[in-house]
Amino acid sequence: MRLRSLTLRHFRNVGFAALEFSGRQHFLLGANGQGKTNLLEAAGFLTALRSFRTSDNKLLVGHTQHTAAIAAVVEHERQGETKITIKLRHDGKELWCDQARVTKLAEYLGKFPTVVFSSQDLQLVRGSPAGRRRWLDLTLAAMDPGYLRALQMFSRALTERNALLKTGRAGETQLAAFEQTLAPAAAQLIALRSSGIKALGATVKSGYAKLCDDAEPASLVYEPNFAEADAEALLARLEAGRARDAQFRTTLVGPHRDDFQFNVHHTAAKDFASEGQQRSLVLALRLAQAAWFQEKSGVRPVLLADDVLGELDPVRRSRFWSAIDHEAQIIATGTSLPAAELGTWQIFDVADGAFSERGAPREAAL
Amino acid sequence: MTPAFEKLQKHLKQLPGLGYRSSERIALHLLVEKPAQLPALVAALEEAARAVRRCTRCGNLAEEELCGLCADERRDQTVVCVVEHVPDLVAIERSGAFRGSYHVLHGKLSPIQGVGPEQLNFGALIDRIETGGVGELILALSNDVEGEATCHYLTEYITKGRDVKITRIGFGLPSGGGVLYADSVTLRSALEGRRSFQ
Repeated sequence: MRLRSLTLRHFRNVGFAALEFSGRQHFLLGANGQGKTNLLEAAGFLTALRSFRTSDNKLLVGHTQHTAAIAAVVEHERQGETKITIKLRHDGKELWCDQARVTKLAEYLGKFPTVVFSSQDLQLVRGSPAGRRRWLDLTLAAMDPGYLRALQMFSRALTERNALLKTGRAGETQLAAFEQTLAPAAAQLIALRSSGIKALGATVKSGYAKLCDDAEPASLVYEPNFAEADAEALLARLEAGRARDAQFRTTLVGPHRDDFQFNVHHTAAKDFASEGQQRSLVLALRLAQAAWFQEKSGVRPVLLADDVLGELDPVRRSRFWSAIDHEAQIIATGTSLPAAELGTWQIFDVADGAFSERGAPREAAL
Repeated sequence: MTPAFEKLQKHLKQLPGLGYRSSERIALHLLVEKPAQLPALVAALEEAARAVRRCTRCGNLAEEELCGLCADERRDQTVVCVVEHVPDLVAIERSGAFRGSYHVLHGKLSPIQGVGPEQLNFGALIDRIETGGVGELILALSNDVEGEATCHYLTEYITKGRDVKITRIGFGLPSGGGVLYADSVTLRSALEGRRSFQ
C-alpha cells in the first residue's frame, strides 16, 4: 500500500499538518524535538490503532485539547483508494473507513500494515519480555483473526481468574469454571506463537545474513512459560497450581509469561552480542515483520524509518538499503539529508510541529 | 436550577443508559412540559414497586408466588432455558420458538465485577432439579468468557451427579443474512457448528 496523504490535527505537538505524498521516498528533515517522529507515529497508528511509542493514548492528544484526529488517504492493493479517519479522545477512539464507522478491531487490524524502524527497537533485544510479547502479539494478531480472538479470550479469562484470586477466597469450582475457557485459548496461543516465531525466525536469519557478513547465524527461540500447546495438560497444571496461585494471588503459569530470545551463534544476543550485532538483529526483525505482513496479506507495508539511516555506519547503511523492499513506500526522518546513494526523496522541512514541502510553491500570504 | 430539580436529576442519572443530558431532559419533561402525567407515573411506579417481585421458581418478574410462565400448565416445565437477564427471556419468548420454562440467573459469573455464585440465582435452580421434573437445561448464556465460565460452573457444580441433560444454544449466522456480511468470529463458530444437510 501507499500512503497518499496524511492530515493531523492536535496530534501531540502538531496543531495542524496536511502532507501530500508523491513518489515512493519521503524524508522529514528537522532538528530534534520538532515533531518528525510524531508524524511517523500517526502513520504507524493506522495499522493497529496503537502507537509504537506509548500504550497511553491520552499522550497523543495535544496539550489543552480534547480531541486529536488523523486522516489518511491510502492506495491499497485490495481495497483501492481508501480514506481512514481516526478520532482520539482522552477516553477512547473512533474509526471510520471510507465514511463507514468501524467498531470491531478484528475487522480492521492489520488491513493497513506499516512497519516502524526506530532506535528504541534495541529494547526488543535488551529490554523486558513484556515489550517482546507486545511486538509478537501485534505482529501475529494483525495477520490472523484467530490469534486475536484467542488472545482476547485468554486475556479476559486471565483477568477474571486473577480477580478471583485477588479476593483471597477463590473457590475451586469458580476457578475451574474460568480455567475451562482460559486453557483452550492459551493452548491456541502457544501453538500459534510457536509456529509464528519459527517462520519469523527463518526470515530474521536470512535478513541478518544480508546485514552482517559474519557467518554467524542468527535465530529466534521461543521460550514458552508452559511448553505444551495442549489444553488438557494446561488445565491439569492450572489445577495443580491453584494453591500456589492463591498464595501469590495471581496466575503463575501461562502464555502471559512467555518470552522469546534472539540468538547469535547459539548464544543469547542480549548478553553476548555486540552493540552492532544487536542493531543488525532488530533491523532483521523489522524486515522479517515487513515480509511477514506482505506474505500473509498480499499488501506491501509502508516502512517508517525513524532516524535509523543516520545512526548506521556507511557500510551497514548500504547493506540495510539493499535489504529493504524497493517497491515499498518509505517515510524516513533525520536531522540531516540522507546520503546521495539512497536515491531521490520528497523532502519536508519540519519545525515546531509544522511541515512544509521543500520546492513546493508557497501559498501566498493573505 | 433548583435544589429539588437537581436531586431528581441526580437520581435519574443513576438509571442505566442515562447520562447528564438525557436525565436533565427527562426531568424537564416530567416537571415542566407534561406535569399532568406525573401523578399517573408516580402511582404506576409505586404500584409496580409494591406488586412486582421475583418468581420464586425461575426468577422472572412475577406478581404472584409464580410468574405467568411457571404457572402456565401448558408449558413444558421439564425443559428449562437458563438465561442471564429478564430481557433475554423476553427476547426468546418473542421468537415463539420455545414452549418450555425458564430460569433467570440475574447475571453471570464475573469476579472483575464482584459477581460470584452467591449473587446469582443458583439456589432456586438447585431446588428445581432436586425436586425432580427437570429433564433438560438449555444454556442460553452469552458467548463470552463470563458466559462460558458460568456454563462450566453450572455443568460442573450445579448439575454434576444429577440426572439432567445439558445443551448449549448454537452460535452462527443471523437468519436471512448472507455470509458476506458476517464477521470472522461468527463465521468461525457457524462453521464449527455446521450440521448434516440431508
